[in-house]
Amino acid sequence: MKLIFGLFTLFWLATSACAEQTAYAVRNTEIKQQPYSDAATVARLSENASVSIVSRQGGWMRISSKAGNGWVKMLSLRGGSTATKRGDSGMQSLFNIGRTGSSGITVATGVRGLSEEDLKNAQPDPLELEKLQSYAVNKSKAEKFARDAKLKSHQLDYLHYSGNP
Amino acid sequence: MFNRSVLFFSIGLLSACQQGSMEFDLEKALSIAQKARQANRTIEEPEEIVMGNGIAANLLGTSPLFANDRAQQYVNHVGRWVSLHTERPDLPWKFGILASSDVNAFATPGGAIFITRGLMQKLNNESELAGVLAHEMAHVLRKHHLAALQKEARMGVATDLLGEALKNKNNQVLEKAIKAGTEVYARGLDKDDEFEADRMGIVIATRAGYDPFGLPAVLQMLEASNAQDSSLALMFKTHPAPRDRLSLLDKIMGSRFDTYATPAQTDKRFNSEVSRHL
Repeated sequence: MKLIFGLFTLFWLATSACAEQTAYAVRNTEIKQQPYSDAATVARLSENASVSIVSRQGGWMRISSKAGNGWVKMLSLRGGSTATKRGDSGMQSLFNIGRTGSSGITVATGVRGLSEEDLKNAQPDPLELEKLQSYAVNKSKAEKFARDAKLKSHQLDYLHYSGNP
Repeated sequence: MFNRSVLFFSIGLLSACQQGSMEFDLEKALSIAQKARQANRTIEEPEEIVMGNGIAANLLGTSPLFANDRAQQYVNHVGRWVSLHTERPDLPWKFGILASSDVNAFATPGGAIFITRGLMQKLNNESELAGVLAHEMAHVLRKHHLAALQKEARMGVATDLLGEALKNKNNQVLEKAIKAGTEVYARGLDKDDEFEADRMGIVIATRAGYDPFGLPAVLQMLEASNAQDSSLALMFKTHPAPRDRLSLLDKIMGSRFDTYATPAQTDKRFNSEVSRHL
């Protein structure tokens, strides 16, 4: 039993690590030496090329790829790989069966709640609501919290989008 | 003719309340019916808050709060600071981490915002948290949930009665409206409301001094997640695909957000106050 649990933990680690690190390019894009538009171009990444994500800095992702390593604009990338969009890897499927059983309903322990059924049949919990209200903070505390981390406000208008999604 | 249609309408209203409707007399029902005839009667702020608290209590009924005071206080400080950069800074904003391992976040009318522990565990820094909270705040600012309720004809009646119910302490009508309000979370909002909340969320988080790409980073993480994972089921069902949300942001963000960066102090804080407690 312990062994099975250990194996699943291993699968979980492996699959979640993979899922978080890969991405692919949605267009031909330049790989930059630094996270700036006017930085030197290291290489070119073609549409659908897979990359591994190393880190993020603002709107830039540090990546490694067959084409080269460097910085790519974050919104030129989408999470996952084009291959996994077509179907799960065997390992992922195995992991799913292990975790959810054939019913597709999770048997993992811990609090779940928040399913469609749960929400339709929800009963109020007034004590938890009171607790929620007790955590609320006032403006001056929030402002101090921001100052402590040197957060500064900026003036900025909302973005408008006209066109079809 | 006019009077008759009002009468029929008020009979409809009375039967809509079923039991407990005895508290309403005909005259009162007539006046409500007349109000209901004015298209899109808006729900006043006090009604919005009572309704929202009721929905919040229901959400808490399906998942209690995550039992960690430090993490809860941290999220409240981030959220309240961000809320000061919205057009409704004086709402009774309050924030809670739900104990659920599901990956999701919710907003209720009047300013209660929830994020699940499951989603918190997937976040990397304070900017990503600010981005998620700002997206949820936009739903409150634009009253998306109330609009979703009013869209339904049956609930149109209930929300019109809501103000009256609050004044008369008619709890049955209020309970009905809150139950219907909670069901909206199972169905989800309009796709366009979600896209609008993304657009607004990025701006609100940036105004508060956070990295504008916090929310897009969360969307990218969601896109890379396994769609078969049941902890993501409700979130995926009730939101447009992360890929579509990112494409829209890609179209409108351009390069004007490139110059903002978050102070490094926030990362330290995120790690000490939240990451290690989750």
